[in-house]
Amino acid sequence: MKNSPAAKPAKSQAIRSSVGEKLFQAINIVIFVLLGLTTVFPFLNLIAKSFSSEAAVVSGMVTLFPIDFQVGTYKYVASSSMFLNAFMVSVTVTVIGSFLALFMTTLAAYPLSKPRLRGRKFFILMYLFTMLFSGGLIPTYLLIHSLGLIDKLPVLFLPFMISVYNMLIIKSYFESLPEGLEESAKIDGASNMTILVRIVLPLSLPVLATITLFYAVQFWNDYFTSLLYINSSSLKPLQLYLKELFVSSTDTFLRDNVEANLNVSPQSIQAASIMLATLPILLVYPFLQKYFVKGVLIGSVKG
Amino acid sequence: MRESTAPEAVPVPVKRGRGSYLRQLGSDVAKDWDLYIALIPGIAFLLLFKYAPMYGIIIAFKDFNIFDGLAASPWVGWEHFEKLFSSESFLHVFRNTLVISVYKILFLFPLPIVIAILLNELRNMAFKRTVQTVIYLPHFLSWVIVSGLFLDMLSTNGGIVNKIIVALGGEPIRFFLDNSIFRTVLVSSAGWKETGWNTIIYLAALAGIDPGLYEAARIDGANKWKQIIHITLPGLIPIILLMFILRLGSVLEAGTEQILVMYNPSVYNVADVIGTYVYRIGLGEQNYSFTTAVGVFESVVAFILILSGNALARKFFGRGIW
Repeated sequence: MKNSPAAKPAKSQAIRSSVGEKLFQAINIVIFVLLGLTTVFPFLNLIAKSFSSEAAVVSGMVTLFPIDFQVGTYKYVASSSMFLNAFMVSVTVTVIGSFLALFMTTLAAYPLSKPRLRGRKFFILMYLFTMLFSGGLIPTYLLIHSLGLIDKLPVLFLPFMISVYNMLIIKSYFESLPEGLEESAKIDGASNMTILVRIVLPLSLPVLATITLFYAVQFWNDYFTSLLYINSSSLKPLQLYLKELFVSSTDTFLRDNVEANLNVSPQSIQAASIMLATLPILLVYPFLQKYFVKGVLIGSVKG
Repeated sequence: MRESTAPEAVPVPVKRGRGSYLRQLGSDVAKDWDLYIALIPGIAFLLLFKYAPMYGIIIAFKDFNIFDGLAASPWVGWEHFEKLFSSESFLHVFRNTLVISVYKILFLFPLPIVIAILLNELRNMAFKRTVQTVIYLPHFLSWVIVSGLFLDMLSTNGGIVNKIIVALGGEPIRFFLDNSIFRTVLVSSAGWKETGWNTIIYLAALAGIDPGLYEAARIDGANKWKQIIHITLPGLIPIILLMFILRLGSVLEAGTEQILVMYNPSVYNVADVIGTYVYRIGLGEQNYSFTTAVGVFESVVAFILILSGNALARKFFGRGIW
C-alpha cells in the first residue's frame, strides 16, 4: 500500500486540528475496530466451540472462550479417514494445479507482453473474449464428459490452467520491466526463452508469488468443480467433504461416529473441520499479503 | 493493446507489394519463433476449454441426446428459447436472480467505497495495515467455509445471533429456512466475505489523488466532509464507474456458487437463481438442451450489458474498460 498521501496531510494537521477533526478520527477508529471484530468474531466463536465439551456447546454457553476445554474433537477429525483422504486430495490438486497453472500462465503471458509480436492483438482478443462470453455450464459439462474426465483427478485442475485475469496481471508486470535488459541479453546471443528464464522470471518473483497464491487459494477453495464432476468418495476434495458434513450434521453419519467415540457434539466436529480446512490459508496468508496487494494493483490500476 | 499498432507498422517500408509484406511477416515470425512456440499451449488451452464449450452452445438449437452426440441430434431452431420465455419456472427464477442481484448492488456496491474513504483517513499506519490485513482475509475463504460459519452463527440451536435475539426478548429466527429473511442472509454473508477485498482497488485510486489538492482545500477552509465531497469522490468517479460496468456484466450471475452451498428446498422459492436452476434442471434432470438455452440467454445478456455499459462510459466520461 502506498501510504504517502495519507501521511502528508498528517503533518499539516498539527497546525489546525479542530475538535471536529479529532472527533472524526476517534469515530473512524471505533468503526474499524468494530469492523475488524465483525470479521474475526465468527472465527473466535468457532475456535471456542471446537475446543468445548458437548454439554457446553449443546446448551449454547460458548461464545469467545472454550468451556470444559478438550482436544478430542481435533483428535477425532484428524484421525477420520474420510477427512484425511479429502485433505490429501485437496493438497494434491492444489500443489499440482498451482504449479501447472503458474507455468502455463507465465508461458502464455510472456509472448503477449512483447509489442513487436505479430498478431499480438488478435491473440490478446482471443483471451479477452473468454472473459466476456462463455459456453456455460451444460456445454462445459458435456465437453468434460466427452473428454472422459468425469470422476478423474485431473478434472479438478486441467480446466483452470489459465485464468485470463491472472495472465493479464503477469503480462502487465512483464511489460513494466525495462527493455534494456532484454536488448543487452540479445546482444550476448540469448534466445527469448533464455531471457525469460534467466532474466525476466527472477525479476518477477513478487508477481509470481501473488499469482501462485491466487491459484492455490482457488484450487484449495473449489467445491463446485468436484460437485459437478466427482462421484467417487476417494476423490472428494476437502470443500465437498465439508459441504456434505454440514448438510448431514443431524444425520446418522455424524451421530454414529461421534457418540460412539467421545463426548463431543457434531457442532464441535464441524467447527474443528472448518478450522483445519482453513489453517493452510491462515498460515500462508500473512507472509504473502505484502505481495498480493502490490500484485492486484499492478493488474488493476493500469490505463 | 493500443501501443501494439505502432511497432507493427514500423518495419514495413511504404511502397511495397503484398509479397514483401508476407516476406517481412515471415522473417518477423522466424526471428521470434520461440515466442510463437510459447503461445501454443495457451491457445490450445483456450480452444479446448473455452471455445469448444462455445461451439457446444449449438445444442440449445437442437434436441440433444447424449447417445446421438452433438452432430447427430436433430435441429429444432428457436423452440427451446420460445419454451423458456413461456416457462413459469424460468420467469420465477429470472425474477429471483434480478432481485438478489439488485439487492447486492444496492447494498454491497457502495460499501467498499465508503470503507476505503474512511480507511484512507486513518492516521495510524500500523492500525491501518492491521485493519486491512483483517478485512481482506474472508475473501480467501471458500463459500463452503463461509456458509459453515454463518450456519453456525445463525443456527437456532445455540447460534450466537439467536442467543442475542432471545436475550433481548425476541423470538429466535430460522435464518436459513425463512423465506422472508434468507435473501438478507445471502446479501450480508456476501458482504462479509468480499467487502474488505473490494476496497483494494479504491484504496489504490485514493493513493493516486494529488495530496496538494487537500492542502489547498484546507487552506481555503474546507472541512473533512467538504474535502471528501469535492476532492475524494470526484477523484474516485472513473474507477467507481469502471467497477460498476464490470459489476453490471454479472447481474444475472447473482452468486450461484454461494447460493448453491447455502440454500435448501424450503427457500428455493426466493433463492433459486438462473445458475442454480441450470444446475438442478440441467444436470439433475439431464434437460441439456433447454438449460443450455437458459445459459445462452444469461451469457448473451451479460455480454450486451458489458458492451453497452462500456459504450455509455466512453460516451459520457470518455473512458471505458477498453
